[in-house]
Amino acid sequence: MVLHAKRYSLTLDKNKCTGCGICMEICPREAIEVTKTPKIEGEAAKPPTVAISEEKCTYCGMCETLCAFGALSIKINGEHIIPVVNSESFPQLIREITVDETKCGVECAEIEDACPLDLIKVSVHTPDGKEITGANSRLNKENLEVTVNIDKDSCPCCQLCETKFPDSAIRVEKIFHGNLRINREKCPEDCHDCLDVCPIPGVLYLLDDGKVHVNELNCIYCGVCRIVCPEEGALELNRTRIRHTEVRSGAWNKALEKLASTKAMTKELKTKSGKRLYESMKSRFPPEVENDV
Amino acid sequence: MMSEEPRVGVFVCHCGLNIAGVIDVKELIEYARTLPNVLVAMDNRYTCADPGQEEIRKAIKEHDLNRVVVAACSPRMHEPTFRRTVADAGLNPYLFEMANIREFASWCHPSTPKEATDKAKEIVKMAVAKAKLLQRLETMEVPVTNKALIIGGGIAGISSALDLADMGFKVYLLEKSESIGGHMAALDKTFPTLDCSICIEGPKMVDVSRHPNIEILSYADLVSVKGFVGNFKVKIRGNPRYVIAADCTGCGECRDACPIEFPNEWDENLGVRKAISVPFDQAVPLVYTINRDYCIECFKCVDACGARQAINFEQEPEDIELEVGTILVSTGFDIYKPTDDSRYGYSRFDNVITAMEFERLILAAGPTGGKVVRASDGEKPHSVAFIQCVGSRDVNKYEYCSGFCCMYALKNAVLLKEKYRDDVEVYIFYMDMRTHFKGYEEFYRRARELGVNFIRGRISQINEDPKTKNLLIRAEDMMLGDPLELEAELVVLSTAAIPSKGADEVSRILSITRGADGFFMESHPKLKPLDTSVDGIFLAGACQGPKDIPYSVSQGSGAAARAATILSQPTWKIEPIIADIDSSKCRNVNAKCGICVKKCPYGAIKALENKAASVTAAMCHGCGTCVAECPTDAITQMHFTDAQILAQVRAALEENPEGKILGFLCNWCSYAGADLAGTSRFEYPPTMRAIRVMCSGRVDRDFVLEAFRQGAGMVLVGACHLPYDCHYISGNYKMKDRMDALARIFEKLGLSPERFRVEYVSAAEGVKFAAIMREMTEQLEALGPEKIKAENEKLRPTLDKMLSRKRKK
Repeated sequence: MVLHAKRYSLTLDKNKCTGCGICMEICPREAIEVTKTPKIEGEAAKPPTVAISEEKCTYCGMCETLCAFGALSIKINGEHIIPVVNSESFPQLIREITVDETKCGVECAEIEDACPLDLIKVSVHTPDGKEITGANSRLNKENLEVTVNIDKDSCPCCQLCETKFPDSAIRVEKIFHGNLRINREKCPEDCHDCLDVCPIPGVLYLLDDGKVHVNELNCIYCGVCRIVCPEEGALELNRTRIRHTEVRSGAWNKALEKLASTKAMTKELKTKSGKRLYESMKSRFPPEVENDV
Repeated sequence: MMSEEPRVGVFVCHCGLNIAGVIDVKELIEYARTLPNVLVAMDNRYTCADPGQEEIRKAIKEHDLNRVVVAACSPRMHEPTFRRTVADAGLNPYLFEMANIREFASWCHPSTPKEATDKAKEIVKMAVAKAKLLQRLETMEVPVTNKALIIGGGIAGISSALDLADMGFKVYLLEKSESIGGHMAALDKTFPTLDCSICIEGPKMVDVSRHPNIEILSYADLVSVKGFVGNFKVKIRGNPRYVIAADCTGCGECRDACPIEFPNEWDENLGVRKAISVPFDQAVPLVYTINRDYCIECFKCVDACGARQAINFEQEPEDIELEVGTILVSTGFDIYKPTDDSRYGYSRFDNVITAMEFERLILAAGPTGGKVVRASDGEKPHSVAFIQCVGSRDVNKYEYCSGFCCMYALKNAVLLKEKYRDDVEVYIFYMDMRTHFKGYEEFYRRARELGVNFIRGRISQINEDPKTKNLLIRAEDMMLGDPLELEAELVVLSTAAIPSKGADEVSRILSITRGADGFFMESHPKLKPLDTSVDGIFLAGACQGPKDIPYSVSQGSGAAARAATILSQPTWKIEPIIADIDSSKCRNVNAKCGICVKKCPYGAIKALENKAASVTAAMCHGCGTCVAECPTDAITQMHFTDAQILAQVRAALEENPEGKILGFLCNWCSYAGADLAGTSRFEYPPTMRAIRVMCSGRVDRDFVLEAFRQGAGMVLVGACHLPYDCHYISGNYKMKDRMDALARIFEKLGLSPERFRVEYVSAAEGVKFAAIMREMTEQLEALGPEKIKAENEKLRPTLDKMLSRKRKK
């Protein structure tokens, strides 16, 4: 959107985007469209494509805050600004990623490869600040300093690094909680589209029965599998909780309702200081939901 | 009603020598005395002068006259005068009839005094025949609600509202957008004085909001209007702002809390406003509005509003019902955006903008803080070209001149020059510089003296330099006759003012007409420029055609004064020349008819199922279209009854019918055109015998049939021009449909086609009327009486059959 007074832009980093569709689900203007990429016979399924309508977008920034992969970015007059965050009208995801660098030894370098999204950078310096590259040159050298850089904003918190290296310096808490079930009796023959597009290796895997199975340990509940799944009801995803900064916001409640459930939203409202908001929104709920909570 | 024997007095006027110079008045009087029921006939040098009028009054008393015929000038001239004369003598004014022997005889047949006198005799005879059947009519009075509704809160509507409110009338000011103010509130400076627009309009807007007699109904739409002059019932839908107007203090804390911005239409979408906001700081009423299309419902505004609790997301549309006596329409105009014209590159090239967008850029309170910058790079342009007549004066787009564009282009050029001096070069491409009105020409000179470059010529194409985003303008310099190419960093298009988007709906709801250009039509372009065709509804400002600010303000005040003529009266008189339905004859009682309802241009007739149709007297304008259309002759038009008109037809055709043209002329155009032919002394053969009807829509098929049954040589129906000239909206169309069908019947029956004719003659077309008369007379003579007689004989049995119903009466 180019106006004489202001310039707005929303850019999508296609390298980071997995096409999970969370942005589409929560966009209040229906400005984002996520479409399945047509499948080519004999090839693996490709992630869905995301298209943003410049005309519909109001550059509120809700999509950016909720993108687990940090693929979206809003700029106003060239500056990175998220309006809903600045005005405290929307929470941010909590990515609890801690690095205990005291635990880091030179062998930490291997952890780089553990990240499926290539977000971890381990660099080794000599005491005089010279960077050492190449695995071999690190060996047998004393007094080297190790620093771990993680692109936290783009991290969906799959915990794979922690899983693979339980003793390493990195500790990660998941953002999205929930459950993912595959009703294998509904799976079409030889279909593993979900597995093809899942960004986290190991969450979905094939067994000898030719069907896809789930290991929820590292699942981030992004939902891209559900989008590409050709069979209604074959894949069931429920999000139960989203870790986010505390905020009083109707917009967030709505988003939570869309991403998780009405139940999850009312639960959160009851536990938080959102009493008045809850009252003002009560009329929106069907009575049975009321009683359910 | 009139069982008494008619006692007619005929008064022939010499009009100096205007009549007596051609017509043998003595012979005419002698003739008049021989007519049945004529008790007295006398002449006077000037009947319209006091002594002449006194003579009529005396004669009424002396001879106990109950009908008066004055043979003099056109009824369009002195009918009201003589109606008053007879009323003074105690006679009902509608028992008066005029015989037009000046415009229709002496003036148009000066070289054939014998024929002119014969024609005058028959004109008097026709008048007496009608006079005998005239009925007493009483003027009706309806109560007046002394409140006014003004639709549209621009500067015209504001002026009307303040004037009416100051006169002591209650005023409802309806505005569809969030704030009153209209276009004027969005302008920067105003020509030619360069005073700041909002600085002069703002106080007026505040006056409106504070006036105890004015109620602003903003952010609301007109739903329906029923009723008639003095008694309109109006339904309005108030749109939800989601902010309670009474509780909103206009502090703006909600706006500061709101995270969402969207393009501000008020800023021509050059800037943004919050999802909860006012369009501009001076908005009246100062009540915030939530745009639910953009709102994400974070409810931060609810928190910010706090204890004031002015925000209510549950607000529903509100239905408002009003009763008012008059309605003023001041719905203004829209601005054409030339997205459909590729020559200008508007919307394709960043640096081509409209003049309204320029206003918002140069305005200190605008989105750029008064900096004129280019959209492509945010830089100040060093050369600016204004292109005039974009859409206006273009036969392919809007044919009319938008009036104020020359002046605002000059104004913007002067502002640029005064702001940036030699740092900016300004060009104006124009066709003609139109700088009439006070102080405008002087302003034009000021622009020239400041070094603005004027290039006379229309542009042919604007292209963009892809690198610099500058515009390359191709045009022809008409002064030199050479093609020209000019590079400008910014192009400003002076686009046409066009009828507002909602004009169509307003015209439908109010039953007021629009011209070919889409703007509302005034009742008369010269003498009733503020009235509409509907009594009690008036026009002000640019809704009637593009107008600048002083013109709009004057019209606002003028329309207020027009409305006050009604509002200041306890009751309002309504002309009794209206339609009346005989419920015992109405077909709608037994069948589903409703033809009259469909044909009435004013929606004045209602026909409920299994009930006789009924006319709302105050809404009826007396065109008589329904009367002519009624299949059972259940409707009568007062003062123009079937019996009266048929009596005129028979009187006109009693002698030598084959040699005559019987004309039915509508009062407003063709009769007036015929009058003008007389006034202009255009001579034509004296073959025509004219019958005046208010509207050509009144001309019943039966009248034409009866004329031919009586042996008429030719029949002419004269109407106002299609499509928009009819003074009763569409009476001429209804007549056309009816007569087209009739012409087909005549063709089958073997009538020579030239013997039946429909013509459209305006009040200005005296020449055309005379030409038609000459042409028809030639044709009449070429056919010859024998052929006409033979055709008529052949026709007669069919006509007898077709008219049997009428003769039974």
